[in-house]
Amino acid sequence: MIRFTLCVALMIGLALIDIRVWFAVAYPVYVIGLLLLVAVELVGDTRLGAQRWLSIGSFSFQPSEVMKLGIVLALARYYHGASAKRARLSWWLLVPAGMIALPVLLVAHQPDLGTAMLILMTGAAIVVLAGLSWKIIAAGIAAFVAIVPPFVMFVMHDYQRQRVLTFLDPESDPSGSGYHILQSMIALGSGGLLGKGYGLGSQSQLNFLPEKQTDFIFATLAEEFGFVGCVSLLVLYAAAIFMALRTAYLSHSHFGRLATAGVTATFTLYLLINGAMVMGLAPVVGVPMPLLSYGGTVMLTVMIGFGLVQSARVHRYAEVTKGSGLL
Amino acid sequence: MAEPAIFFEEVNERQGVFHRRAILMGGFAGLGIAALGSRLAYLQLLETQRYEKLATSNQFNFKLVPAPRGVIVDRNGAILAANRPNFRLLVVKDKEFDTEATLQTLANFVPLDDRRQQRLLREINSAPRRAPVSVMEDMSWEQFSAINVRSAEMPNVTADMGEVRVYPHGGAFAHVIGYVAKVNQEDIEPTGPNADPIMFHPGFRIGKQGIEKALDLQLRGRPGAKKVEVDARGREVRHDEAGDIAAVPGKEVQLTLDVDIQNRALEVFGGESGGAVLMDCRTGDILCMMSAPSFDANRFVRGLTGAEYRALANYERKPLLDKCLSGTYPPGSTFKTMTALAALEAGINPALTVNCGGGMNFGGRYFRCHKKGGHGPQNMQDAIKNSCDVYFYSVAVRIGPDRIAKVAREFGFGQTFDIGIPGQKKGIVPSTEWVRKNRPKDPKWHAGESLSYGIGQGMLTANCLQLAVMTARLANGKKALNPRLIKSIGGKELPSGAAVPDLPFSQEHLNYVRAGMAAVTEAGGTAFRASQLGLGDILMAGKTGTAQVYTYKAGGHRGKGGPWRLRDHGLFVAFAPLDAPRYALAVIVQHGMGGSTAAAPRAREIMRVALLKDPELRARIEKPMPMPEFQPDPELDSVPDEPLFAEPDNLPTPASGAPLTPPGRGPA
Repeated sequence: MIRFTLCVALMIGLALIDIRVWFAVAYPVYVIGLLLLVAVELVGDTRLGAQRWLSIGSFSFQPSEVMKLGIVLALARYYHGASAKRARLSWWLLVPAGMIALPVLLVAHQPDLGTAMLILMTGAAIVVLAGLSWKIIAAGIAAFVAIVPPFVMFVMHDYQRQRVLTFLDPESDPSGSGYHILQSMIALGSGGLLGKGYGLGSQSQLNFLPEKQTDFIFATLAEEFGFVGCVSLLVLYAAAIFMALRTAYLSHSHFGRLATAGVTATFTLYLLINGAMVMGLAPVVGVPMPLLSYGGTVMLTVMIGFGLVQSARVHRYAEVTKGSGLL
Repeated sequence: MAEPAIFFEEVNERQGVFHRRAILMGGFAGLGIAALGSRLAYLQLLETQRYEKLATSNQFNFKLVPAPRGVIVDRNGAILAANRPNFRLLVVKDKEFDTEATLQTLANFVPLDDRRQQRLLREINSAPRRAPVSVMEDMSWEQFSAINVRSAEMPNVTADMGEVRVYPHGGAFAHVIGYVAKVNQEDIEPTGPNADPIMFHPGFRIGKQGIEKALDLQLRGRPGAKKVEVDARGREVRHDEAGDIAAVPGKEVQLTLDVDIQNRALEVFGGESGGAVLMDCRTGDILCMMSAPSFDANRFVRGLTGAEYRALANYERKPLLDKCLSGTYPPGSTFKTMTALAALEAGINPALTVNCGGGMNFGGRYFRCHKKGGHGPQNMQDAIKNSCDVYFYSVAVRIGPDRIAKVAREFGFGQTFDIGIPGQKKGIVPSTEWVRKNRPKDPKWHAGESLSYGIGQGMLTANCLQLAVMTARLANGKKALNPRLIKSIGGKELPSGAAVPDLPFSQEHLNYVRAGMAAVTEAGGTAFRASQLGLGDILMAGKTGTAQVYTYKAGGHRGKGGPWRLRDHGLFVAFAPLDAPRYALAVIVQHGMGGSTAAAPRAREIMRVALLKDPELRARIEKPMPMPEFQPDPELDSVPDEPLFAEPDNLPTPASGAPLTPPGRGPA
């Protein structure tokens, strides 16, 4: 709760920052993010078999979270200065492609496939929104579909592959690798229309549901508040997404538009991936439910993202040029 | 600013594309959220029941509770096997707790040395998930409460109260009743009656021998279940008493055995090895079936140590072998009753005499009689009384093996009886057909073999129960009665052994053999001194037997010392009371050396208890002396101060005129 209050305060604070400041720090944030990712590669802590954490004193955080924001800012900054023609189809597209590929590869190497995918898809969303040619989009989708099966079979770590295979047939090993998905679906399904009531969910209270406060918090809610509660929550999420997109729509600067849309894309992806995972529609990946899951770094990232969106809203009429800015 | 038109066009184009695609993105987001919503509707509205069921089966667990095992009682309701409370200490494997450390902590409260800790650790680690392993049984109240107080710190430890089987008579019934012990791998069959989850309960014990094994399913009852709410680790969170399923206790089993007779039998055997079976010869009920030496069945319940087991298994007198059912022995001279009956049935006149000169030549061999100087001329009755070998040699040669075998079979030799427990050995009843089938190298019956057959030696073997059945069938007149060991199961009476057809022999012949057995215990008979019951006019008839174990030339010792395992077996079969037979008894003292010296005195003690426990016979034993007919005597009448009776009137006096009572035995 304290964390949340602090984050809200931070969000409001960030909302007051001029969009031009965001514009000015876009590349620096991206570069710092990249450096941190390299640092984590060299000196990061290994937790649960993955090197994702960087400790500074007693404070430890995941640099990949910084990158989630960094990629949005950097791409928005790049496209702000790029013409429609360049954005549609030209060799200049290799620049944003490289900007996306670098952090994605670094994060995937940790390995944190979930976050890597998220960065990739956020980046792709911005590239598409900036006006990428439909031909390249189609080719990209085709390439992606073609590459997934061999990737799953040959490149993934065993535990990752296991998660994917389990997702395809969760009941093959109900007490082992299929346990998470099965228990989550039991929690959801047994909630019914109105749910079991707050604090009365047997799946969550008796710990059958794994990660009941973090990645699977949606299942906890679904069990205790039922279909009605879940749909209400989805409506609220949809409203947040709609309002964020509207901010992007209203924004006068291309930077503001793309940054806002990028944050929205990240947020939406979080929601859809986590929702799909909890409902047994996607493999288990470590993607939390935005704003609900317990966990500091993610909440911070989301709040900073919303800070950016609100800043864009507040300063929607501001002219952002390459030369202008407070810095 | 150089080309403002292009610039604005450019800006507008970028903005237009963005706006179109942002709407598209919004559409995709909406589509995704709608997909989630419909998935939710599917799971939460359509499939609710299925998932509710799964959630309930997660949340609630039925923990099996073994049913109280049925008690086993004797014919009068005395407890032979029951259950007593037992404070147990159980440990279950739990990921969050270090089992090794737990055991070390527990060692502060109960004795657990390092070796035992190591063994338990292995056992706990190999146990199925959530199946607790018993670390200690029979804790004291102090140990139990000390651990219970600390149980909150050790959720993987349970100290609870279970039940443990107890055999109050220790060894006396060990062979008949058997014992229960921990379930081992062989007991757990994938199918069949033992494919029961209760088998994995740490408190569950399965019947391993005797009645406990044969009637295991009836004694086991139906386990109950405790409905508990558990968390994901299987820890009990809450007990839902309303949802409990009560256990159905095991059925009570009543045996025909009598605790006093059985205990006396074990007592009189002392350190000797052998068996005794006593039957009611009207109903076939087995009142005593005792094998000595015995072992304490309670030790098996607890689990024997290796040293204890080796001591029992390696002891020469084989305490683990049931000598009543599983040990077969040559019946020796007790079998002469069968030879005699076979001779009568073959038409031999019992009055004809055979002269015994201490042995007879046959086929180039000299067959000795047990009496060196010989018995002189013997008719059949004399021969039974004196156990004259020569008489039976000659009779057996005359009638041949098949006639003897037929009689022996009718009397129960060579068969097992349906008494409800496993482990009976049939023994061998040789005949011409038997040698043809079982001795392919020498399929012809040699006439010389008939001689040993006639005196109950040679290939012939029988178990103690068969000898008791033989005696009971001889004693009861004509019935081919069957033994019964289990009187009732769960209050349902089992059929008595008396409902059987008659023996296919003439009553006259049976009476004749019986009379011979009566002569055995008369003055001059082989068991005269050892068979006096001291119960007034209630007399015992019988037949001794001294069965040769080993050829004497090779070191066997008739009636003498020598290595224990080479000594002769002493046997005695008997029935009482002579005038109205009620109890039949067979006693085998393995390597006891003599039927009259080792077996008959023990038989007498066992028979006495049986007779004294019979209320009718007791009344007869305690019956006041019949009043002499009052004849007024004018002389005495004139002296009124003199006592009327010369003796106190409660002196026992046997009934006069019992047909078989020889003169000189009754009141003179």
